[in-house]
Amino acid sequence: MAKVTIYSTPTCVYCKMAKEFFKKNNVAYEEHDVASDMKAREDMVNKSHQLGVPVIDIDNNIVIGFDQKTIESLLGLGKAVAPAA
Amino acid sequence: MYDLIIIGGGPGGVAAGVYAARKKMKTALITDTFGGQSLVSSSIENWIGTKTISGFDLAKALEEHLRAQSGIDIVDGDLVSAVAKRDDGTFLVTTKSGKTLETKYLLLTSGSRRKRLGVPGEDRFDGKGVVFCTTCDAPLFGGKTVAVVGGGNSALEGVEDLLQYASKIYLFVRSEVLRGDPVTQEKVKSHPNVEIVWNSVIEEIKGETFVNGITYKNVKSGESKGLALDGVFVEIGLIPNSDFVKDLVALDDFGKVVVDHKTQQTSCPGIWAAGDVSDVLYDQNNISVGDAVKATLNVYDKIKKG
Repeated sequence: MAKVTIYSTPTCVYCKMAKEFFKKNNVAYEEHDVASDMKAREDMVNKSHQLGVPVIDIDNNIVIGFDQKTIESLLGLGKAVAPAA
Repeated sequence: MYDLIIIGGGPGGVAAGVYAARKKMKTALITDTFGGQSLVSSSIENWIGTKTISGFDLAKALEEHLRAQSGIDIVDGDLVSAVAKRDDGTFLVTTKSGKTLETKYLLLTSGSRRKRLGVPGEDRFDGKGVVFCTTCDAPLFGGKTVAVVGGGNSALEGVEDLLQYASKIYLFVRSEVLRGDPVTQEKVKSHPNVEIVWNSVIEEIKGETFVNGITYKNVKSGESKGLALDGVFVEIGLIPNSDFVKDLVALDDFGKVVVDHKTQQTSCPGIWAAGDVSDVLYDQNNISVGDAVKATLNVYDKIKKG
């Protein structure tokens, strides 16, 4: 099972979308609110050189933003493809 | 071969999807995410039938309504990169992830995206002090000095969001007037932590790892100045997502797709458009829904007549 950490703020809708996505796919994750947790914010900035959320850490691979395709491939989630017309 | 491919998952696209499925048209809907631009709104108070709803909850409700329809193929987490019209009048749609889909008819409900400044440093410092989602990232600028760029509602609301975090906010306005709600204007103008820089545009965003300053120009005097700050919040409006059809359909001066407002048909036979990507006069969720339904029923009429 991959170790997944999400750095978020309470007002960030893309963070919510990412968390919903993890729940839907039964992926366990750890969450840090970088609006209030200064230590977590520092960790996020050091890891990602980003000052924007969400930052998602999947087994030390850093994903910037809710990039569903990249997250799927890092987690090895196969997605059903729409049937060819 | 689909009867209809709907491009976009905002209120317009979803409305079209629901109607198309109920008319048993062979339909696919392609979208990156659901909910459209309202997704990031903390509360929407004018979505008819609902007193108040967050953009996130609206997006979920729209997605659920669409997924409850049978017989529609949903391609999400993907974007359309190209549309080609073939000699027989059908269309070939290619997505960013490399999928190709064929269709007889197309409905564009692809909405708009945020306009960028187009100045040096903007791309390099994206996510490193340059911010395009103020509600998302405002909390990370506690005690910092920031610039908000823009003079409309979204810029004013951005300033409001930042007031509880940033210690100093410069609002850069290209002209001498603010647009946007008078109530918000007053709040922003009278706040001691806000300084409005009139008639000014940002020329360059500077920094090392993160933003540490800008240069800006007064458009009247032509004079350029530097300013040390930690963040640049870009709120200068929207541009329509019409790039992938720009060689197929007529666009207006703003890049919006020109439609016949009775049927939503574009200048290209077989392509319809609705919502903010079209040259609709008012960019509103409720209007996008109505116009997309109108378009879908018109496509259906076309299919019936053959």
